Amino acid sequence: MESLIRELKEHLIRELNLEDITAEDIDSKAPLFGEEGLGLDSIDALEIILILEKHYGIKLQNSAEAKPVFYSVETLAGYIAKNRR
Amino acid sequence: MAEEIRHVWLGADSIVTALGNKRDTLSSIREYRTGLCMDESLGMVCGRIASMEPIDGYTRLETCVIRAIESVQAQSGIDLADKDVRFVFSSTKGNIDRIANCGNEPPSEAFLGECARRIAAYFNAAFLPITVSNACISGVSALVVGQRLLLSGVCGRVVVAGCDMLSAFIAEGFGAFKSVSGQPCRPYDKDRDGLSLGEACGALLLTTRKSEALEPAVELSGGAVTNDANHISGPSRTGDGLYYAIRAAMRQAGIDPREVAMVNTHGTATLYNDEMESKAIHLAGLEHVPLNSLKGYIGHTLGASGVVETVISAQALRDGIVYGTKGFSEMGVPCPLHVSACHSRLKGNHCVKTASGFGGCNAAVVLSLEGETHRVLPRSNAFQVRETSVYTLPLSDKPFAEFIREEFKKLQSPNMKFYKMSDLSKAAYVAAERLIGGSLAEKGLAPEEVAIVLANRAASLDTDLLHQRILDQKTEPVSPAVFVYTLPNVAAGEVCIRHKIQGDNTFFIENQDTGQAEGYARLLIAGGYAKAAVCGWCDFMDGKWDVRLKWIERK
Repeated sequence: MESLIRELKEHLIRELNLEDITAEDIDSKAPLFGEEGLGLDSIDALEIILILEKHYGIKLQNSAEAKPVFYSVETLAGYIAKNRR
Repeated sequence: MAEEIRHVWLGADSIVTALGNKRDTLSSIREYRTGLCMDESLGMVCGRIASMEPIDGYTRLETCVIRAIESVQAQSGIDLADKDVRFVFSSTKGNIDRIANCGNEPPSEAFLGECARRIAAYFNAAFLPITVSNACISGVSALVVGQRLLLSGVCGRVVVAGCDMLSAFIAEGFGAFKSVSGQPCRPYDKDRDGLSLGEACGALLLTTRKSEALEPAVELSGGAVTNDANHISGPSRTGDGLYYAIRAAMRQAGIDPREVAMVNTHGTATLYNDEMESKAIHLAGLEHVPLNSLKGYIGHTLGASGVVETVISAQALRDGIVYGTKGFSEMGVPCPLHVSACHSRLKGNHCVKTASGFGGCNAAVVLSLEGETHRVLPRSNAFQVRETSVYTLPLSDKPFAEFIREEFKKLQSPNMKFYKMSDLSKAAYVAAERLIGGSLAEKGLAPEEVAIVLANRAASLDTDLLHQRILDQKTEPVSPAVFVYTLPNVAAGEVCIRHKIQGDNTFFIENQDTGQAEGYARLLIAGGYAKAAVCGWCDFMDGKWDVRLKWIERK
């Protein structure tokens, strides 16, 4: 799980252009969206859907259904661990 | 001093949609027939224009626009070659299909300004075209530009033409945004699940001479453009930006909400657009007014939609009918609206037409049957304008990425979103930050009193090529984060978000800087439409930039 979390953070930093942020800076339990945490938005959510597709073979239809899954790096990693192929 | 111009009339018009020409489109709408169906080549439900005889040497889009203008000229007898006529062209993407597999070398007609120039040259137009590329409000935005030009006395007639065609570029982009419905779209319905794209072209004469108005005469009595200053693609959560546009347009028309007989909205049928509109309509006090969206008949026709839907709505005013909203059956927006599901008799004389688009932009116009307005049009040159500061983004031998990163760091104003922006947006963002300095509130300016008017040559072509490369290579999925920046006005939208600018925001495209942006910004301030403006040239292409901004304000 630790290595998946690490890898996921690297994907997020690269694909979402999170410049000046390192994997260590991202709190795995902090919310990804909204004012606190990483402050991601709806376009980032669509990009995360693409990360799931590209790197883990997971297809999610829309970001609304994905709300609890997309809460934090930890919840996202948990979902990937269960559903990856 | 020239006599003050009091009226802008809607003259001859011509449209073509998935339902055919104006007559055919109207008769299909009357029979609740849709032009939307599955298109195998694009792999989605959308509305395509039937193929037409191409004009040698011109693209499909240019042919469409030329035919529409020819029809307007033939009906009205006016001529683009006449010195009293200006040509305003609206399009989001012009000949963008021409960059497929072009690598890094887009053909000249892929430049929107060049596309407009070719059309103008076909008619030996007396002046350079004025090209507006303001995302999905482009058409309404172009009408507002035309109205402002006429009220300022620059000329007596403006031909406004709007057109967009569908291609993989656009279809795949909206697909990546997960905003396209699998069925013909269902505006405001509880089961709506996205938009349907459509092709269309519209041309419309705006004139100060009532004798040239299509009878019974309809006036473009009010108009305004605003910005949400909230998010570049997500509609505002409050609807305030669209509300400001409707309010300003109604004020200019001198009417109050009780006098409005019909609202023709953008109504794209995406979850969030329709939600936002319902809030704005409530804020504007128009929730009891019969309202319709035409998207279920002809689709979302992008840069053409504002012109085409205005032509249809003006005709509905003349014919005394409110068209039903195809696809709507059960209310599905948080603030209930009076959505007309079926055609009904129009009771009154004024129609509000709205549009909203990426970059946070909104636009509204008021259409009024003759003799029914008591408006207070601003005097065209009531206010003096002064220039208080200029800023030119310095040139550098460093690669742009490195250069702009350093410039951004120097601002000492961290913003996580900066690194996600397109290069055009980054350039605009840094230059505007340097130009504006402190907050607008400190300058005593309210958000809706400040405008941003930019122009450039390349539009968003630099990002367009990036999006197209992803499509051509077919190895990576299409990126929504790239696609959202394939509109030049999104760069202005980023500046609006940063500085909470909610006034007029208009983006012009021209082959070289002839000062259209600054000229229009001056007109906005002189006419009382804005108190201050960021304006100027903001171009980025292939690693090269040319960004020269000015701050001008009411004296």
